Amino acid sequence: MAASTITRISRATADWILPAAGLKEVGIVGLPPLEIIRFLNEHGVRIHDLDALLTRADLETSAPYLPRVYCAILRTVMVNSLHLDLDAIFIDVGPGKCDSAFHVAAVLEDALSIPVIRTENTDMEKFGTPLCQAKMPLFDKMLAITEGVKSADPLDTLPPSCPPSFGFWGVPPRDFSILQLFPDTTHVYGWTRCMENKTPANHALEAYCNPDVPTVFFAQTFCAKTALAKLLARKHPCGLYLDADVTAGSSAKAKIQAFLELRGKPT
Amino acid sequence: MILGDFGTSYIKFLGLGEDNTSPVIIPANKLPRDTRVSLATGHNGKRFSDNYVNELIALARGGESLIPEKDFLLLDCGSRDIKFIQYQNGQLKDMGWNAECGASMGFTIELLKRYYDLDYQKLPVPEKPFSVTCGVLGMSHIFDAVINGISVEEAVAKFVKGIALNAYRFAGTPAKLYLSGGLCDNPLFVNSFPCKVVPLGRFVLLKGLEMEAGTLNKGTNNS
Repeated sequence: MAASTITRISRATADWILPAAGLKEVGIVGLPPLEIIRFLNEHGVRIHDLDALLTRADLETSAPYLPRVYCAILRTVMVNSLHLDLDAIFIDVGPGKCDSAFHVAAVLEDALSIPVIRTENTDMEKFGTPLCQAKMPLFDKMLAITEGVKSADPLDTLPPSCPPSFGFWGVPPRDFSILQLFPDTTHVYGWTRCMENKTPANHALEAYCNPDVPTVFFAQTFCAKTALAKLLARKHPCGLYLDADVTAGSSAKAKIQAFLELRGKPT
Repeated sequence: MILGDFGTSYIKFLGLGEDNTSPVIIPANKLPRDTRVSLATGHNGKRFSDNYVNELIALARGGESLIPEKDFLLLDCGSRDIKFIQYQNGQLKDMGWNAECGASMGFTIELLKRYYDLDYQKLPVPEKPFSVTCGVLGMSHIFDAVINGISVEEAVAKFVKGIALNAYRFAGTPAKLYLSGGLCDNPLFVNSFPCKVVPLGRFVLLKGLEMEAGTLNKGTNNS
């Protein structure tokens, strides 16, 4: 773990990590360093990606802890943390995540009685991005990429690649339904590409996009990445800026549909 | 073939082919429930047709048909929302659809006209607007101003100018814009924009549907 650090912030965390006895279910927020994922994998610990929708609990149950006007992903993290029976949470708060996660770590620590471990993932070893460039439904692609954060192993079989007809730049949205609007030949860019590459703090990779490919630049409403999404969309020859909060409304979906059709979605 | 633009406050129809008619407008609350059209757009369009074109596409197609320039910005101000399409070199450059902060602006402007019995043809454009982001939130500015002694006419005019400036900023502060929707007939609104405005009337989306219908027919004939 040369470039990454683990900071113990909770009284209860003092000696928990070695040995791992008693750790069965842990939550992760963002992309903790590969060394930690590998450690958890080797010890058979079940990992829950708290950024994803894992419970049916109402998002409003996060309201006592986080403002309603806040990133929907982090509100989801809060809800998952409150409703899942976890032994610990690893939350990445370094340059590979966001300032909001840094503050949410403190909220989680205050609200929960389990260890909350802040990590700073600065891993730069490239895992490659075959899923981002694969020919497959964007919904499935995104699911596979987000599922991949729980494993330290590379893909067993590489999916077939394809030239891009469209681009989706950004983070995995809270509402995956917008992904169903895109053709299978959509390539993925932005932080999601960094996720698959297991280098979440690679800001050059995050900012990369293909100027020859019409691209939707997506960010969660109230996320600081909206600024980068808007900047890149403005500089791109054919970029569309889009943000969505908890769920994507009809106007957000209509914008995507119109963009795909008016820029020539292949039939 | 009947085309329908099912807006929030008004429904616009156009007949093509054997049903050939000029555009017809009826208030949404007078629409028979069993209405069916061949091709629809607008908030409520999916309820009345099996063939639906989303409003941004209808707006874009209408703009392509009605506007001769290759570079243009077309802003549609409806009862409930605002949306725009921007073209550069004949290709889509940008677009936006604001259903939240542009909410209910056209509806509110009409509501105020009826409530205060105003004639927008006669109201002058005020020097300073209210800072309003949407129809609903802007109403309180009017009430406060009237309480403080400003005439109803001036207060509403400030409100309308604030709404126009909000729409102008939403569209990216262009030097010139084409305007679509019922507010094209409101000189106070049109003249409140700090840029050149070319009103295209309230049938731009119908024109877009007409273009889409042509594409559909061509596809059917070729298959």
